[in-house]
Amino acid sequence: MSELTTGKFSMAISDLENVQITINNIVGAIEKQVDETDLEMGPTVKPGVSSLRDWDHNILDRYNPVYTPMCDQCCYCTFGPCDLSGNKEGACGIDLAGHNAREFMLRVITGAAAHSGHGRHLLHHLIGIYGEDHLLDVGATNIIAPNVQLVTGVSPKTLGDLDSVLSYVEEQITQLLAAVHVGQEGAAIDFESKALHGGMLDHVGMEISDIAQISCLDFPKSDDEPPLADIGMGCLDASKPTLIVIGHNVAAVTDIIDYMDEKGLNEKMELGGLCCTALDMTRYKTNDRTLPRAKVVGTLAKELKTIRSGIPDVIIVDEQCIRADVLKEASKLMIPVITTNDKVMYGLKDRSNDSIEDILEDLTTGKEKGALMFDYVKLGELAPRLTMMMSEIRKQKGIKGLPTDEELKELADSCVHCLKCEVACPNSLPISEAMTALSEGELSNFELLHDKCIACGRCEFACPKDIDIVNVIEKSSQRVISEEVGKVRVGRGPISDPEIREEGVNLVLGTTPGIVALVGCSNYPDGTKDLFTIADEMLRRSYIVVVSGCSAMDLGMYQDEDGMTLYEKYPSRFKSGGLLNTGSCVSNAHITGAVIKVASIFAQKNISGNYEEIADYTLNRVGAVGVAWGAYSQKAASIGTGCARLGIPVILGPHGSKYRRALIGKPYEEDKWTVYDARDGSKMQIPAAPDYLLTTAETVEEMMPMLAKSCIRPSDNNMGRMIKLTHYIELSQKYLGIMPDDWFKFVRTETDLPLAKREKLLKILEEEQGWEIDWKRKKILSGPAMKSDVSAQPTNLKRLCKEA
Amino acid sequence: MVDVIKNTQVHCTYGCKSSKAVQPNVAGKMISKAKRPLFIVGSQILKDEELLKRSIEIAKKADLPVAATGHSMSGLVDKGVNAKYINVHALATYLCDPNWTGLDGKGQYDTIIVLGHFKYYIDQVLSGLKSFSKLKSIAIEREYIQNATMSFGNITPDVHIEALDELIDNL
Repeated sequence: MSELTTGKFSMAISDLENVQITINNIVGAIEKQVDETDLEMGPTVKPGVSSLRDWDHNILDRYNPVYTPMCDQCCYCTFGPCDLSGNKEGACGIDLAGHNAREFMLRVITGAAAHSGHGRHLLHHLIGIYGEDHLLDVGATNIIAPNVQLVTGVSPKTLGDLDSVLSYVEEQITQLLAAVHVGQEGAAIDFESKALHGGMLDHVGMEISDIAQISCLDFPKSDDEPPLADIGMGCLDASKPTLIVIGHNVAAVTDIIDYMDEKGLNEKMELGGLCCTALDMTRYKTNDRTLPRAKVVGTLAKELKTIRSGIPDVIIVDEQCIRADVLKEASKLMIPVITTNDKVMYGLKDRSNDSIEDILEDLTTGKEKGALMFDYVKLGELAPRLTMMMSEIRKQKGIKGLPTDEELKELADSCVHCLKCEVACPNSLPISEAMTALSEGELSNFELLHDKCIACGRCEFACPKDIDIVNVIEKSSQRVISEEVGKVRVGRGPISDPEIREEGVNLVLGTTPGIVALVGCSNYPDGTKDLFTIADEMLRRSYIVVVSGCSAMDLGMYQDEDGMTLYEKYPSRFKSGGLLNTGSCVSNAHITGAVIKVASIFAQKNISGNYEEIADYTLNRVGAVGVAWGAYSQKAASIGTGCARLGIPVILGPHGSKYRRALIGKPYEEDKWTVYDARDGSKMQIPAAPDYLLTTAETVEEMMPMLAKSCIRPSDNNMGRMIKLTHYIELSQKYLGIMPDDWFKFVRTETDLPLAKREKLLKILEEEQGWEIDWKRKKILSGPAMKSDVSAQPTNLKRLCKEA
Repeated sequence: MVDVIKNTQVHCTYGCKSSKAVQPNVAGKMISKAKRPLFIVGSQILKDEELLKRSIEIAKKADLPVAATGHSMSGLVDKGVNAKYINVHALATYLCDPNWTGLDGKGQYDTIIVLGHFKYYIDQVLSGLKSFSKLKSIAIEREYIQNATMSFGNITPDVHIEALDELIDNL
C-alpha cells in the first residue's frame, strides 16, 4: 500500500474506485514530512496539556495567580448554587480559588476557540478557492509561522500544511474544555497551567488565520511602508449609499470589494467597517501599496452609534465582537442585515440557494428584516445592489436615526435625575449633570461624554423615563463626530527577518529600551485618547511601538501639534522609534512571532518544538511589554495569557480587573528573584522586573513608568540599563511627581546610572542607601545587590546550565 | 446629619456577601479605632479639588499612612501626608499575604479605607480581599462598593462631600 504525502495528492473522489482512505495516515504523512526535514526538534513537539507544566509552575512560583472573583458562588452544576465566599468549598469540593482558576481558563479557551474557529472557517474557505497546494507567502522571512513552528515543530509551506496544525489546536482546546467539567481538575495551580496552555494555542490559531489570509488575499506582506486608510465616524459621506460590515472575518467581504471595483461603484457608494473586519478590508489587495477602497469607521464602541446614526443602508455581519442586538436595532431604522457566518445567524432564513432577485425583493419590501447568506460570490453582488436600492427607499421614506433639535430638548427636559443611568453606566459617566446642561442648551457636557461612552446602552434600560440616552449623547455630539476623521496604517503583517536581524541585538542588550505592544479592544476607562498618549510618549523615547486591532484604530484618531497622526510621523519599521500596525486581532500573533524570531535569528536558538527554552529566553532577555488598555473580550484574555506563557508581561486597563485573575510577583520575596547563570549553573540575583506577568493599571499616568520598568531585563548591558533606568525615573517624575522608590535596585554599577544625573544619584545612593562611593573616580565600591556581568546567561531552567 | 445608607443599588449583585451600608459618623469612629489602618487613595481625587482637599484632611487628622494608587501621588506630593505610590492590584495582592510587612516594614494592616477609585475597579480589587483575607475594608466613595466590608451608598457628589466632612468631624 502506498502512503500519501501532503501537498502532492489531488484527485476527484468520484474517480476513485476501491480506495480506502484512513485519515490517520494523512496526519501521519504530515508528521513524517516534518521528520524528513533537517530541522532540529526541541523536546515539546505538539505539547499536550501537561507537557509544559513544569515551565508553568516555574513562572507561577514567582508570578502568583491573584483572584478577584466577580461572584462568590458557583452555579455550575445541580449540586449548587454553592456559597464559596471566604474560599469555602462547594458541594463538589472545589474552592473559590479553584473555581475562579477554572473560570479564567474557560475564558481563555473561549477566546482561543474564537480565533481558531475563525482560522478554520478562513482556511476552509481559502483552500476551497486556492487549493491546499497554494504556497504561503508572508514576505521576507524564512520563518513563515514562528508560533506554529515553536509549538508544533511544523514549518508550513502551503495552505494545506496549516490544516493539521489547526487540528492539533482544536484537539487541545477540546482536552482543556473537558477539564472544565465538574469532578475534573481540583487544583487552581493546574487550571492555571491549562489556561497558559490555552493562551499558547491561541497564538498558533491566530497565526494560522493571518498567514492564510495574507498569502491568499494579497494583503501587505511584512511591508514596512503600507498605505494609510481613512478612519473615523466622520469619514463616511452620509449622502452616499452606505454599506457597513461588522466583525472579524474578511472572507465574506472580499467578493463585495471585487464587485464594487468591477462595476465602478467605489465613487458611488461607501463601504465602511467596524471592528477588525474593517482593518482586514483595508489590507485586501493593498500589497502593491494602492490605497484601500474601504474605510474604517471604528471600534466595537462605535457599533451602536453607527447604527443609531441611521447612516448605514445595509449591514453585513460576520463573526466576533458584534453586538447581539444588531438586527433589532437595524430593523427599527429599516436597515436590512445580512449574516454570513454560522457563529452569528440571528434567526434569519438561509437564503444561500435563493436567487439574488428574490432576496432583493424580500429585503427591499421589508418582507424580511435580513438574510443568512453563505454563498459569498452571491453576496458580492447582492450587498452592493441592495445598498443602492435601500438608500433610495430609505430616503423616500424619510427614515432618520437621531432625534431633531426640538426632540432632543424634550428628551433632556423629561429626565428626572434619579441617577439610575449613572449606576448602570460601566464608566459611571455624569449623565444627569449633562442632561441638566442640555436642558439649558449646553451641548459641551455630552460632547465630552461621547468619547468616554462605549455605547453599550445599559443606561437606556435603566431609565424609568425610557429616554434613548445613547441617541441623546450622539445627537448632542454631531459637531465632534463630524470631526472624527483620522488615518490608520494598513496592517503590515509579520516583522521581516532583515528587520529582526538589524534590531535584535539592540533589544537584547537594551539599547533599544523595549517593545511596547498596544493591543486589544476599546473598553477604555477614560476615552479613546489614552492610546495616543501612551504611543506618543513611548515613541518620543524611542521604544518600538507595535499595535493591532481596535487599539490600532483609536491611535489614528488623534494628531500631534503639527497636525500629523503618529502613523504619519513615525516609520512603520521594526526599529527603535518605529510605529507598526501588524493588522487585525489575529495579527497579534506577529507580535509574539517577532519575539520568537529574535531568539531564532539573533540568538540562533532552535525554535522548533522548543517552547520552554524560547519562553525562558524572552522572559530573561527581551524587553517587551503588552498593553491591552481597553481589553474587554475573552480573546484579549487568551492573547494576554499566551504572552504570559511566552514570558511577555501584559498590563490591562482598570476594566481588565474584571477578568478576575492576574499574575503578580512579590518583589519583597527575595528568593523568588534569582535565576541560574547558564555558564555554570550558579544562582544570580535579578531585579524584580517585570514584577507581574498580567496586571492592571488605574490610569495611563500610572502605567507610563510601569511600562519602562517592565522592559528591564537581567541581560541589559550597562548602556541598555542606563537608558531603561533613565526612562523609568523620568516617567515616574513626569507622571507621578516622584522618584520611584525602587530605582536603586536596578543599579549594578555606576555605568547603569543615567549619565546626566550620575553624580546626583550617586549622592542619593550614598546618603539614603548607605552605598560606598569612590568620589574621585565616581565609582560605586559597594552596595548593589547584584553584579554587572554582561556575559552572564540568565535562565530559569536548570537543564540549560552547563554544570547541571 | 446626612443619610448615606439609603441607595445601595448595584448594577448587578454577585454572590452571597455584600458590604454593610455605613453612615459617615460610624465610619469615622471605626477609622479612628483601627490599630493598623491604611488609607488607599485613588487617582479620581485629582478630578475634584474638594475631594483632594478632604483626602488630605482625613489622612492628616487620623494620622493615616496613605497608599497612593494610580497617579494620585501627583496630588499628594508636598502636602504633608505620609504617602507612597503603589499599584492597587499589587497592593491588594500583598494585603492578602500575612508575610507582607506593609509600606513601612512594620507589619500587615488590619483596616483599609478606600477613596477616589473607579467603582468597578476598586470593587474587583476588594473582592480578592473579601475572599482571601480577614482584612476589614471601609469604602467612603460616592458609590456603593459591594465587595468592601462597609460602604456608603450611591450618593451625589454634593452629598459625598458633606458626608466626608461629617466623617472628618468624627475622626
